[in-house]
Amino acid sequence: MTIEIVLMWVALTCYVAATALFVFGLTFSRPPLVRAAVIASAVGLVPQIVALGVRWIRVGHGPYLGYYEVANVLTLFTVVLFVIAALRSPRLSAAGIAIMPVGVLLLGGAMLAPKAGLPITASLASYWLFIHVAFACVAFGVFVASFGLAVVFVIRERSKSGKWARRLEQLPAQDVVENLTSRFVLAGFLFWGIMIASGAIWANQAWGRYWGWDPIETWSLIVWLVYAFYLHLRFTLGWRGQRLAWYAIIAMPIALFSLVGIPVVFNSIHGAYIAGPQG
Amino acid sequence: MIRKAFRHAIGFLGSAKLAAWLLGFVGVWSMVATFVAQGDVSDPAVATWVSANPLFEPIVQPLGLHQAFTAPLFIVCAVVLGVSTALCAWRRTKVAVRKARTLRAASEPGGSLLGRHDFELTCGAGIGPDEILPAASDTLRRLGVKTRLRDGRLIAVSSPWSVWGSPVFHWALVALIAVFLVSALQRSEGIMGVAVGETKVDAPASYGVLQVGPLHSWGAQPRSIRVDAFEPDYSTGGVERGPTPTVSVLDSSGRVLKTQRVYPNMPLEIGSLTIHPSEYGLAVTLAALTAADVETSRFVALVDFAPSAPDGTAPVRPFQISDSTGTSRLTGVVTVPLDRVDGGFALPQERKAHVVLSSPDGSPAIDSSVSQGDIVTLPWGDRLKVASVGYYVRLSVVDDWSIPALYAALALAFIGLTATLVSRQQIVVVSVAEGPDGPRLVARLHLSRNAATNRSEIEGALTQVLGPDKQRSTL
Repeated sequence: MTIEIVLMWVALTCYVAATALFVFGLTFSRPPLVRAAVIASAVGLVPQIVALGVRWIRVGHGPYLGYYEVANVLTLFTVVLFVIAALRSPRLSAAGIAIMPVGVLLLGGAMLAPKAGLPITASLASYWLFIHVAFACVAFGVFVASFGLAVVFVIRERSKSGKWARRLEQLPAQDVVENLTSRFVLAGFLFWGIMIASGAIWANQAWGRYWGWDPIETWSLIVWLVYAFYLHLRFTLGWRGQRLAWYAIIAMPIALFSLVGIPVVFNSIHGAYIAGPQG
Repeated sequence: MIRKAFRHAIGFLGSAKLAAWLLGFVGVWSMVATFVAQGDVSDPAVATWVSANPLFEPIVQPLGLHQAFTAPLFIVCAVVLGVSTALCAWRRTKVAVRKARTLRAASEPGGSLLGRHDFELTCGAGIGPDEILPAASDTLRRLGVKTRLRDGRLIAVSSPWSVWGSPVFHWALVALIAVFLVSALQRSEGIMGVAVGETKVDAPASYGVLQVGPLHSWGAQPRSIRVDAFEPDYSTGGVERGPTPTVSVLDSSGRVLKTQRVYPNMPLEIGSLTIHPSEYGLAVTLAALTAADVETSRFVALVDFAPSAPDGTAPVRPFQISDSTGTSRLTGVVTVPLDRVDGGFALPQERKAHVVLSSPDGSPAIDSSVSQGDIVTLPWGDRLKVASVGYYVRLSVVDDWSIPALYAALALAFIGLTATLVSRQQIVVVSVAEGPDGPRLVARLHLSRNAATNRSEIEGALTQVLGPDKQRSTL
């Protein structure tokens, strides 16, 4: 087992511990455990970043290619964004109970995937690759944050003044959580849009066409439309409360599927980034 | 009557519900389309899908889901969505004008807040009027609202520019759709097979495959495209770039306008023209000679690699050979026999052309393997020389002026979205008024977008700090 893989297992262990601490801390109303969960999440970032750095040097390119690298970097951005949000506004830490399991599942999946480095091919050799992937990761991290906030909003809303409402009482008021969720969705919508646009510019450079209705292109547009629909529901049709939160909860797995599921399900010209050049 | 109907139509097209439904429809349609084989009915992939999914075909076929993104239903919905977006943008512009006016007025000095206030608080006994605003300022800062003191008031009013994000985003989307539609009418996109050393005019006859918009103009003085060289395995920057031609674009007088190697991510771009390499194959240049060996014409026969063919190559299309009177006498095809290596094919050291000529009735006239530079004699005495066997490149040539305009519209859309995301839309004005029970805090509180807090939080915090229960000592 290489140092890279060992470090990655350490990171995964930290994220699993963080998830467990969130569950115990909130279930038994122990705020110190919730704080420890945020610290465990932040600590897990260190081995993960070092492992990705080691791999970057070894394979000669950033973590863009193959399920292992893609799921890894998506987890990294998700946890980084969560830790920043939780450190800036500790009242939001409780959302980690929904955010960290997403990171654990993604990184766990990555650890089970083939880990061989894939070569940069002629069509991938472009600085647009970095921009495209970076915005995809940031957008996904922000969508997961909106998902986490929507989950805690629904839990508290359904609990009314029951146990879970008390356990989550350190969160800001429900309308503030709802506004934050919408703001995260808007931010994700912007970053996802930039990801699509940078992909279109890159496709025009690489293949001579900016849009081809390839399954991955189509699904990235679908995700954008899904979140555009959310923003319309919120800002023009005035949706509030649980049904809007449920929408944000359902939307995030669609974004996840479009990033890591579509290249597996469909034959796509973009498929190489998950399945490798032969895929 | 007509005016009323028009107003109703505009109201319907601009309704938020219709826009939401259309967004939903386009999303669901696209989702379904990815699970259905896309292409013409004659496409083998479509035929395979149909035989595997006979249950769905009666729905898929009439809806046009096999060509989902050019289906009339999809195009109509996309166009209506475009109109709806334009109306929405117009409505948002009007709202933004109104909001900007309100923000400008709110930040103007002078005038009493009384009668225009949203919140009023009788302050605790013993709290002096001069202590109220500093305490309110601190409270608001804790809630993320930074105020400044002006003319005896605390003010935190957003800039009038803060309201323009959403209209700019929607107008940029309208521009994007408009540019896309106009570009579809004017764009030309095709595949041109050019042998190394050959020059072809950028005109319809030069293309093997061509899609051209009805308003596309080929120009009175068309440019030409030449392939100067070809490297089957080009590497640079530590990356294998694959088969790489060097391509030149020439003006109508033959002057070279631009020359470069073209490979993925390195297209040749000149004006509205973009050239990419698509595929490559072999090219056999044939020279028609008279019996006295005088060359009368020269043409290029293109040959593609075809692993299932006996020679390992297959002709792109047949050619005609005419006699000196111009009468077509023979139909020919050319292949280039490849060497068999490890179950595959490789280019031989000595390149030969396999020339097969047939009479109009289909009877074989000549079937011969001819080396580069060798000659075959035709039945009527003229001769055909295999002048060279080299490479040809299929170039993807796109003539589209709209691409920078599309990028500009996208950039504008993202600027609008960023403004929507980061700019607050708030009016917070706090002043002190004298009341019968002592000094009162009077405030205007409008927090519509991206505010760090909300009105109830502000009211609660101010009441806690300055309310009737509060005494001077606690301040």
